[in-house]
Amino acid sequence: MPTFTHGDISIEVDEDGFMEEPDQWNEEIAKALATTEGVDEMTEEHWKLVNYLRDYYLKFGIAPMIRKLCKETGFPLKKVYELFPSGPAKGACKVAGLAKPTGCV
Amino acid sequence: MSDHLRPKDISKKTDRLVHVDPSKFPKLPYPYEDWEDPAIPELSDAKKAERDVSLDGVSNLVVPLPKTEEEKEEFVARFLVGLRKLLSKENNWTFLKPLMLSMDNCVKCNTCADACPVFQESGKVAAYRPLFRSEVLRRIVKKHLTPGGKLAAKFTGNDIDVNWETVSRLAQLSYRCTLCRRCAQTCPMGVDNGLLSREIRKLFSQELGLSPAELHGDGTIKQLETGSSTGLSPVALMDLIEFAEEDITDRTGLNIKIPFDKSGADILLIHNAGEFLSWPENLEAFAILFEIAGLSWTLSSEMVGYDSVNYGLFYDDAQYARVTLKHAEVARKLGVKKVVVGECGHAHKALMAIGDRVWLAESNVPRESCMATMEDLIMNEKIMVDPQRNDFPVTTHDPCNMTRSMGIIEPQRRILRKICPQFREMTPHGVHNYCCGGGSGFAIMQSHNFPEWKMAISGRRKFAQILDAFSKEELDPSVHKYVCAPCSNCKGQIRDIITHFNAWERTGMLYGGLVELIVNCMTDVREGFIEWEDFH
Repeated sequence: MPTFTHGDISIEVDEDGFMEEPDQWNEEIAKALATTEGVDEMTEEHWKLVNYLRDYYLKFGIAPMIRKLCKETGFPLKKVYELFPSGPAKGACKVAGLAKPTGCV
Repeated sequence: MSDHLRPKDISKKTDRLVHVDPSKFPKLPYPYEDWEDPAIPELSDAKKAERDVSLDGVSNLVVPLPKTEEEKEEFVARFLVGLRKLLSKENNWTFLKPLMLSMDNCVKCNTCADACPVFQESGKVAAYRPLFRSEVLRRIVKKHLTPGGKLAAKFTGNDIDVNWETVSRLAQLSYRCTLCRRCAQTCPMGVDNGLLSREIRKLFSQELGLSPAELHGDGTIKQLETGSSTGLSPVALMDLIEFAEEDITDRTGLNIKIPFDKSGADILLIHNAGEFLSWPENLEAFAILFEIAGLSWTLSSEMVGYDSVNYGLFYDDAQYARVTLKHAEVARKLGVKKVVVGECGHAHKALMAIGDRVWLAESNVPRESCMATMEDLIMNEKIMVDPQRNDFPVTTHDPCNMTRSMGIIEPQRRILRKICPQFREMTPHGVHNYCCGGGSGFAIMQSHNFPEWKMAISGRRKFAQILDAFSKEELDPSVHKYVCAPCSNCKGQIRDIITHFNAWERTGMLYGGLVELIVNCMTDVREGFIEWEDFH
């Protein structure tokens, strides 16, 4: 299993860089994972998105539908891609410490 | 064969049996004539150190590299045990007969090679030729499972060395086929190379525990444990439904309550759970259509009852049966008159065609394609439509499982001809269609370097077909145009194709299901259900 290291942080990740143990997530890990997505600085907008995903995940065990994410954060999809260039699933969810999406999504 | 790869070469101890060369890919039509395909990326050294990539350097099924000679031998031995089982009535009651017909009847005319989009669009990579894979299998069976076979192999020139390389590469080759069965459609002898690929996958899953994570651990296993291959639990489902109901009101002004677990309803509608997470407009459109038509219908919030997928269809009979039995139980317990399968191609085949082998006695609740349900509503004028609202170029994709495998061709076309004044066919279409390139689970395999392979190769012909369905003027990004793809798996693949080729920006093509087009032109719904905006 690959290990992702950044500074003092060392975590187990899957083939695509998603956290193997999402429970270990914290803000420092988020900042470190963000660098793999080309995000060197987490702005307030990045955190708004990441925290929304994180809260939803803790409540329901999955990522929300993208349409819901856009409506409830007020970010159009285009904006989500500006914040996380690989998009909501591959980018934002990874930084929020969610597991990789599965199934026909 | 015109190339130089012979079936026995599969056992060669080389780093790479075949190479994918992007310069040999067929050119794409306007406006992509100058498109240059990047090379399929090499896997990292760390990944290569743990898995076999000696077929073509591509990875979706992970075959771990053996550490000792004993491990190698055991792998081959277990494969041969599995092969024997595959060819016996006791162990393969599901597909033995078509398997044997396909093993015995090939006359090696190679017609299948012309029909296979993976072989053609790869620039004719020799190992992807359908006949290559099936001949390897035939020779192994002849040599090892036929009396006197080992001796005969030496004299007939059909020898094959069944070593670790042969077995590992054969396993991976079964995942270079989308199971679209275009080869079977065209074969003069009725040989089904798609079925052979699928049966090879089954052998490796059921006997050696080898299958792609997306289909097994994150697929059928997750579905049986959490209720859905997406991980969507019944609690999360209800949260999404609440959102969908609000969304319906925002889009249409209608207040619609989506019914759940209604005992004795006429219809149990089962969606692919991907609709709940990625394409809510599809499930919303079904709710609007069914409610306005006054149907007695319900969704299920029972585990597995809200996710029609059954990836077992693609790789494993036991997993297939576990999932379909759960579907049958949900339908029986609700006491519905019939199950209507939503816009998901492989769920059609799993629930309807193959399901007939398993949904026996009291669990044999009738099943119907949503294409037929919608056709009845539209053609018998149970809802009113204004086709002028759909007056933009529309073409439709034929999901292989629904069309080629099941013959559901005309219902969706009668609807489209009636409600879309500018409907036009792709060439070819219907049972001769090309796979979206995401068939057999490819659409959900997003790891390693497989996404690049499926965009460049298995999805290439579909993209060309879509482009060819529109004129140059229509391909201008300012012109609204719609690619109808009534299948969640195909939608996922077409979304990824559009993204890969930057086709929203370059051509302005929108994709979606069939029911959205219906609701977009219903006179009981305010205009503008379909939103012409970027999607991803």
